[in-house]
Amino acid sequence: MSAPTRNLPVPLDDSAALTELERIWAPRRGFRGWLTSVDHKSIAKRYIVTALIMFLLAGLEAAAMRAQLSRPENTLVGPDMYNQLFSMHGTTMMFLFAVPIMIAVGLYLVPLMVGTRNVAFPRLNACGYWVYLIGAILLYAGFAVNSGPEAGWFAYVPLSGPQYSAGKRTDIWAQMITFTEIAGLIAATQLIVTILKQRAPGMSLNRVPIFVWGMLVTAFMVIFAMPSVAVGSQYLAMDRLISTHFFNPAEGGDALLWQHMFWFFGHPEVYIMFIPGTAIVSALLPAFTRRSVFGYHAVVLSMIATGFIGFGLWVHHMFAAPVPQLGQSLFTAASTMIAIPNGIQIFCWIATIWTGRPIFRTPLLFAIGGIVIFIAGGLTGVMIASIPFDLQVHDTYFIVAHFHYIILGGVVLPLFAGIYYWFPKVTGRLLSETLGKLHFWLMFVGVNVTFFPMHQLGMEGMPRRVYTYLEGTGWGDLNLVATIGAVTIFASVMTFLANVVSAYVRGERAPDNPWDAPTLEWATTSPPAAFNFRNIPVVESGAPLWDHPAELPVVTGLRTDRREVLLTTALDAVPDARHAHPGDSIWPFMLAVAIGIFFITLIFTPWGFVIGTVLSMIAFGIWAWPRGHHDAELLELPRDAAAAGATDRARSEVLR
Amino acid sequence: MLQAPRYAQQSMIDPAGPKAAAVYDFWLFLIVTSAVVFVVVVGALLFGALKRRPRAPERAVPVDAEHRVARIVGGAVAATALILAVFLTLNWKLERAIAAPKQGNVLTVDVIGHQWWWEIQYPDSLNVSNWISTANEVHIPVNRPVRLRMTSRDVIHSFWVPNLSGKKDLVPGRVTETWFQADTPGVYRGQCAEFCGHQHANMALLVIAHRPDEFREWVAAARAPASEPYDSLRQAGKQVFLAGSCSLCHSVSGTPAYGRVGPDLTHVGSRRTIAAGTLPNTRGHMAGWILDPQRIKPGAYMPPNGLEPSQLNALLAYLEGLK
Amino acid sequence: MRSERAVANVSELPTVVFGSRGLVWWGTVSFMVIEGFTMALTAMTYLYLRKNFDSWPPHRTPRPSLLVPTINMAIMLASLPLAWWTKQAAERIDLAKVRIGLLASTLVSVVVLGLRIAEFWSLETQWNSDAYGSIIWVILGFHATILLVDVFETAGFTAIMYSPNREPKHWPEVADNAGYWFFAVLSWVPLYLLVFIGPRVM
Ligand code: HEA
Ligand code: HEA
Ligand code: CUA
Ligand SMILES: [Cu+2]
Repeated sequence: MSAPTRNLPVPLDDSAALTELERIWAPRRGFRGWLTSVDHKSIAKRYIVTALIMFLLAGLEAAAMRAQLSRPENTLVGPDMYNQLFSMHGTTMMFLFAVPIMIAVGLYLVPLMVGTRNVAFPRLNACGYWVYLIGAILLYAGFAVNSGPEAGWFAYVPLSGPQYSAGKRTDIWAQMITFTEIAGLIAATQLIVTILKQRAPGMSLNRVPIFVWGMLVTAFMVIFAMPSVAVGSQYLAMDRLISTHFFNPAEGGDALLWQHMFWFFGHPEVYIMFIPGTAIVSALLPAFTRRSVFGYHAVVLSMIATGFIGFGLWVHHMFAAPVPQLGQSLFTAASTMIAIPNGIQIFCWIATIWTGRPIFRTPLLFAIGGIVIFIAGGLTGVMIASIPFDLQVHDTYFIVAHFHYIILGGVVLPLFAGIYYWFPKVTGRLLSETLGKLHFWLMFVGVNVTFFPMHQLGMEGMPRRVYTYLEGTGWGDLNLVATIGAVTIFASVMTFLANVVSAYVRGERAPDNPWDAPTLEWATTSPPAAFNFRNIPVVESGAPLWDHPAELPVVTGLRTDRREVLLTTALDAVPDARHAHPGDSIWPFMLAVAIGIFFITLIFTPWGFVIGTVLSMIAFGIWAWPRGHHDAELLELPRDAAAAGATDRARSEVLR
Repeated sequence: MLQAPRYAQQSMIDPAGPKAAAVYDFWLFLIVTSAVVFVVVVGALLFGALKRRPRAPERAVPVDAEHRVARIVGGAVAATALILAVFLTLNWKLERAIAAPKQGNVLTVDVIGHQWWWEIQYPDSLNVSNWISTANEVHIPVNRPVRLRMTSRDVIHSFWVPNLSGKKDLVPGRVTETWFQADTPGVYRGQCAEFCGHQHANMALLVIAHRPDEFREWVAAARAPASEPYDSLRQAGKQVFLAGSCSLCHSVSGTPAYGRVGPDLTHVGSRRTIAAGTLPNTRGHMAGWILDPQRIKPGAYMPPNGLEPSQLNALLAYLEGLK
Repeated sequence: MRSERAVANVSELPTVVFGSRGLVWWGTVSFMVIEGFTMALTAMTYLYLRKNFDSWPPHRTPRPSLLVPTINMAIMLASLPLAWWTKQAAERIDLAKVRIGLLASTLVSVVVLGLRIAEFWSLETQWNSDAYGSIIWVILGFHATILLVDVFETAGFTAIMYSPNREPKHWPEVADNAGYWFFAVLSWVPLYLLVFIGPRVM
């Protein structure tokens, strides 16, 4: 610890300071406070709740599809509706549920796990949520007026282009993509800077919790993946709106360009949702096996390797498209290679469980069930990395089976594990174990019953995205089984909702650390105070709460009369500076509205660009304009400090 | 209720040609290996979770146990790498084996994708008037490799007949190629595999594999111009066809009907299905289709046709006669 | 909340730090990475579309003219020392020099942005004539938005530096803003070569 030692730690039981902290960090009251809050916890909670609503809506769309497909030549919904249903389902699940919710879980937990008071750019964080919300509302408003997307979640051109997708359906889709990408990039920046600069003193990189590592890798993947689809969707919007020719072969454009741009994002995207899923599993295993995760370095390196290799796989979605054969084979090799880091993670988990003392509470059940389902999905993933085999099952229900297995097992079940695990921390209430176990078993069985038959359907030739199939194909029975499975999943989700509601109504109060878990988020109250920690904790290992079961070593000296956080060095987390955080503000919301006007107006007229730019500048200008402070430490810096030619650090000391 | 015609079951696990058979063999390897890996890994997971444990102090794992476990984990990783290496090798061999047909004397067929039907052409490099143009049926001889040259007039489609071959996309502005070969005579169903809009679900086609002599007969028949109507009813039907809107979109060789929007109908009477594999080619289905295609394939580009019963009757007779 | 044991006091640490010690620097770098990667994607699009044409620029499309774009590129490069000087002035907390630097920088970015608008005419084709036109318009357009952001921010910091409301935290932010100009200029070099020299050599 190389913190300055000149000053002795200030006395700790200073209740005046605590009151002041509470006052300074508290959000404003009422609706205004809700609009202006920049607390990472309330923003993340909104994100999570919104994303869960998206999951329910997309699930209902899936239920409608399953109803239509339950028997051959069914006429419950026609092709036009069905196409919107699966496009909405895929788009919602991928863009509005899975990725946002994982990132939101990160936004909630990362500051707590690294021991700081808020994310790095709190106002930007608030703005990101609002942009995401506008995207979600836009998509569903379109769907409500029969303008839902109709070209699938990857909207291949030319089908989604100006010629074959009339009306505003695809325009709405393209702008919704832009909104979620903006929100995602904002959140990724938050996570990266928070993790690199705001860790608790002593939390050098090799003591960073695995979950936080996972979020760091995810955030980097977001930064390199999302621009690709954002640019692609803008090309598409421009082709449709102002007659550019990016994807028009008649004028030198190229349909495959879209596929490359989409999948260069689309494949990393699946790891963007899956790495946080594995991170959740790694985060909760210690609490339920009573040991830290076996092979910390191996697991972390696996996540990093997955992140890198994940960018070299995208062409495996395009094996049937005209892409040079030799190039394609490289993508087969990369797609199989990625099984190794994934395998390492799984083997490390098995070793953890094997050598630990498992306690079968709901979170552990979800984690183990998730691993089992994920392995099945991963194995089919390696199968379809083979080009000859993939060409047989590409765009069939075999693929639908692959990715639902891997997503349900690698994302949804781990997510529910995480929800059961952190619910007491977030709400101060415990969820019911009985309902939780019922939820788990219904879901585990339901997922297998729904998606296992789809493997066979795919091999028997059933293509995906068909609104119906002929009686003579013989696909009816297996489809009926799948539909019954979907009903089971529906029941499991209802059980979960009931569990949440009853926890709020009469749930048991949660202690600070109900599972005796080792990481810092459990050191604070349940639910955490607005400022997270009274004093910033000091970390000496990867399991700080197991090191010091009784008391927490902390640093003191952060000011309590303004929102101040501690900055530490990126690698070793040595305390380096104090940083004043901004207060609550309405302008992030206003900026989001301006961005909303920007892209929504663009659907109708290129003038949206001008209007939106002006409005955004106004909103951001007011946001950033200094209001003036009369605080001794904030007065003009002494001119002579610089004249003395002091180094940064020395000069900073003069600042006092 | 529509009734599907009876064909060979559309399935990749019932291969009918060397290409699909090679993939099928590899599939067997994949399934078996995956099943073994699944059982071993999940077995280890469940055993590790459920095994009985001695009462021991919490948390602490002895260091030597940790080392032993590390060796086992390392072994598992090595095994994974080994399995993947075998997988890659076999896969690479398979790719090379099926990259191109083994024997020469290849039959070339052109496939053009449309929303939502398949235009099939048999080019003849020597004699342009020998070109055969048909729709939704690919007739081939058995034991002879067939090379497909494909493109699309509108959006991306994908050609796929699972019993014979994996798929290949049809992309507007590009020409793509694939090949297959049938070993046994029969009818193999295939279906468009790339989402292409409203009637993607009903964009099927049949590959009909003939014995070589039968195939020669088919070629001769297909090259012939449309048969002339030989009775007054069919004559009247021809008039309906030419005078009404049919001829704007469809062509019948040897007549002024030269539309290129819909399938060529020169020999429609001899086809097994209509509406791209959606309906068996019977008089009743044909009538229903002509009167209101939107009821059968909502979104299809063929408009409803309000015909008098007598007109319809004549038209059906004419079309039936186009063998 | 657990009982706590104080092990160190951080009240001595500075509150205003420059460069990678501060948060804003990291935020700025993240956005530069995102924007830089976006520009790289547009450049890749350009190269990808190239293969769909026999000649480049396509038939009957004149090559882009060089005059204005080259002048603009030269101005941008020539303005880098100014940005450097402003950055150093900010790091030395030298109000007078920072004000001069910011005023001059604002002026430069406004000129560059104005010339950029003229550059669209130098392309000698329209965004809707063919895919070539589309991509070069987009490359120029996206970089123009970066210039626009820079004009907005530099003008804003100039105003702040003249305002009594300015706070110490603005010093590192001004320094980072000068760094952003380096990014805006240097990222344009390859794109300039691609769009204006590319058609002459590809
Ligand atoms: C969370 C999401 C997720 C994840 C993690 C993955 C992981 C993988 N995916 Fe999947 N994939 C999707 C989501 C995901 N996928 C989606 C959504 C699509 C369809 C998109 C669409 O078309 O709509 C898709 C489609 C898709 C395709 C294209 C199919 C097609 O359209 O024709 C391919 C092809 O290679 C593929 C491969 C893989 C591979 C090799 C992995 C690997 O990462 C898996 C590695 C894991 C394991 C292998 C299991 C654990 C390892 C062991 C237990 C060790 C022992 C293993 C061996 C010895 C093999 N995926
Ligand atoms: C995160 C990703 C994710 C998840 C979790 C799911 C979950 C499910 N999916 Fe989805 N799916 C995709 C991503 C996902 N899917 C994608 C990307 C596609 C491809 C789309 C495309 O082709 O473009 C797809 C396609 C797809 C298809 C193929 C459609 C086609 O090709 O024609 C099917 C068919 O069965 C299906 C089914 C299901 C089912 C039954 C679930 C179930 O697990 C859902 C379970 C949830 C519920 C059943 C909701 C329960 C709701 C309530 C309890 C509501 C209560 C309401 C209130 C209180 C208001 N999905
Ligand atoms: Cu044609 Cu799907
Ligand atoms: Cu992929």
